[in-house]
Amino acid sequence: MKKKRRSGFIVACTAPAIILFIVFMIIPTIDVFRMSLYKWGGYTAEKTFVGFENFKKLFQNPKFYQSFQNSILLIVIVTLVTFCLSLVFASILSREKIRGQNFFRIVFYIPNILSVVVISAIFSAIYDPNQGLLNSFLSLFRGDKDPILWLGSQKLVIYSVAIAMVWQAVGYYMVMYMASMANVPDSLYESAALEGAGRINQFFSITLPLVWTNIRTTLTFFIISTINMSFLMVKAMTNGGPDGASNVFLSYMYQEAYTNSSYGYGMAIGVTVFIFSFALAGILNAVTRREEIEF
Amino acid sequence: MKMKKVLCILMAAAMVLGTAACGSSGGDSSTADSTPAEDTADSTEDDGAAQEEAESQEEDSSASDEAATATGTLKVAAVETAYGADMWTDVCAAFEASHEGVTIELTVDKKLEDVITPEMKSGVYPDVILRAVGAESGLTETFVKDNNLVDLTDVLSMTVPGESTTVGDKILPGFVENSICNPYGDGKTYLMPMFYGPCGLFYDQGLFKAKGWDVPETWDEMWELGDKAKAEGIALFTYPTAGYFDAFFYALLHESMGNDKFQEALRYGEGIWDTPEAQTVFDIIEKLASYTESTTPANANDNDFQKNQQLILDDKALFMPNGNWVIGEMAEAPRAEGFEWGFTALPAVSAGGERASYSFFEQVWMPAGAENQDLGKEFIAFLYSDAAAEIFAGSGAIQPIQGMTDKLDGDNKLYYSIYDNGAVAVMDAFAATEAVEGITTRATFFDPVNSLVTGDKTKEDWVNQIKADSDALRAALKE
Repeated sequence: MKKKRRSGFIVACTAPAIILFIVFMIIPTIDVFRMSLYKWGGYTAEKTFVGFENFKKLFQNPKFYQSFQNSILLIVIVTLVTFCLSLVFASILSREKIRGQNFFRIVFYIPNILSVVVISAIFSAIYDPNQGLLNSFLSLFRGDKDPILWLGSQKLVIYSVAIAMVWQAVGYYMVMYMASMANVPDSLYESAALEGAGRINQFFSITLPLVWTNIRTTLTFFIISTINMSFLMVKAMTNGGPDGASNVFLSYMYQEAYTNSSYGYGMAIGVTVFIFSFALAGILNAVTRREEIEF
Repeated sequence: MKMKKVLCILMAAAMVLGTAACGSSGGDSSTADSTPAEDTADSTEDDGAAQEEAESQEEDSSASDEAATATGTLKVAAVETAYGADMWTDVCAAFEASHEGVTIELTVDKKLEDVITPEMKSGVYPDVILRAVGAESGLTETFVKDNNLVDLTDVLSMTVPGESTTVGDKILPGFVENSICNPYGDGKTYLMPMFYGPCGLFYDQGLFKAKGWDVPETWDEMWELGDKAKAEGIALFTYPTAGYFDAFFYALLHESMGNDKFQEALRYGEGIWDTPEAQTVFDIIEKLASYTESTTPANANDNDFQKNQQLILDDKALFMPNGNWVIGEMAEAPRAEGFEWGFTALPAVSAGGERASYSFFEQVWMPAGAENQDLGKEFIAFLYSDAAAEIFAGSGAIQPIQGMTDKLDGDNKLYYSIYDNGAVAVMDAFAATEAVEGITTRATFFDPVNSLVTGDKTKEDWVNQIKADSDALRAALKE
């Protein structure tokens, strides 16, 4: 009797969260899958069922592949660079005694609390071909040759976006890594030092294995946040331009669903992104699986 | 202890209820309350009861002729542009004053779509919407593509409230008979022309005077001028974003092809892009790309386009395609000494040939889901009255109605008199199609100009893309 009441209580307590989750996560997700099978402009009552037609068109469209390439490029570059930088910074800031440690912590973290619009304004000032910081600095070495069009050249633009994204993300992951590095007992480092292990050796043999679970979690974060942030960055900085050269998954989806009146097609892109990011996260999770090391 | 559990359960239940309430689409009142537009709107507070009463009255008055006596609540949604939001509040107040028993619920917002879309998705539509085609959101295009508009042909024969002329007679010729207002080519008007502005090339008159240069009248003279300017370190051309090439492209196409072929091109006619006239247009744009200020593509995005416009103010480039709103947009910007805005139609393709200027205009329309259609039409007719036109003109918004250009003064006169000086007004746009997934006219026709300037695409790549996409668009044309 008492057990029954207890489980009833648990149900009542978890119900709100479950209902919220179903209403705002499960149902919309199912809806996205359903809508991807329709031709629909977004406002009318009538929707035409077209089966997998949207997907067929999607996989024949060079612009989709371009945005796919850009997204993958960003995921790889931003993840790798941010991962390395934030790990290095985190280990320096948590292991070494540096003057102004807190100051650096804050400085690194600040970009993360800035709005994307502010970041894009900062970077558009840096990338400005004529008065920009970057070109002015580079002109010290290369003279006043034709200015480099950081946001204008189709070959460079996606890297320019990547740099802004790395700058924005480093602080956040650094703090995450620092949090787990703080849990590593000092005694391990002390004994390693006594055994004659150098700093680099300590990093790879002690720090890295002991924060591995944390790293695995952040890898999934990297995928999700890069897909999302790249949309915001691209939308604010270039809007997919020049000539679609910086389009990513979601900016292309937005363009189709809201500008081109192809809501169903847009949802087909959404489904593809969903499956892709799920699969990628799964693969990453599988290949990074190690035996957990306890301390 | 027991009390605590009961309390917990009660609180959990309250949360569940709250969630359920959020999940449901909500009644009339809740959706109305959630409109953030109320900040900007001058909507009179109307409680549910009054609204219901008004609606029942609305049902009683039936025929459209009697619309003048109709009462009720009219939902008007207008995008806030450079003209500001006040003129809309004033016009709605004037309409309410002249139509007793009518309440207008006005939504004016810079991001109009963000405000009205959630309601429209749940089936509640504004009665009258002002939003032009060509906006990034494609709101108007979406309604056109979906055949989701109210036929407004009968508004043209309605008498302007308080006046004796009909709406159709009052609107300047050409503004209704075009592919934007008659998107389906069936002689029916679905969108009504509102504020217009000539688009053309903007330049610094002061610079031309100081250098003793003449404004070129043909493209050949343009290239000559380009070489002269280059010698002085000034580029011939720049553009804010590639999207500004729409007006430019239409006008140039019209100059080169003449109206019949132009109309055919707008309907993606087969083989039209292979004609020598079309090739001339592509050649001119290709050549223009080579004369374009080299950093232009880097700033040709919605964030930085003003830097390109600044090139004109700084005398670093001679011409840019734009509309008269640029003057307000750059009012605060620093400028070269002696700077004075100049405005010209596009140079002619050959000496003595046609010179064209595209007339950009905004449109007002009614979604098919509008509830108060008669009252909405009455409101649209009212927008063409002298009283309304005066309010609009006070904010600089000029409507294409008879006698309006005579009342203009100052800078405005310069721009609007361009058609009196022999320039041909071009008003059409590409014909409406069913939505074609993956193809937008902007990405096909205009965005590649960036690639032409940077050299990432050749003219051939561009034209081939246009041809291929035109085939797909032609197949999706509305009958």
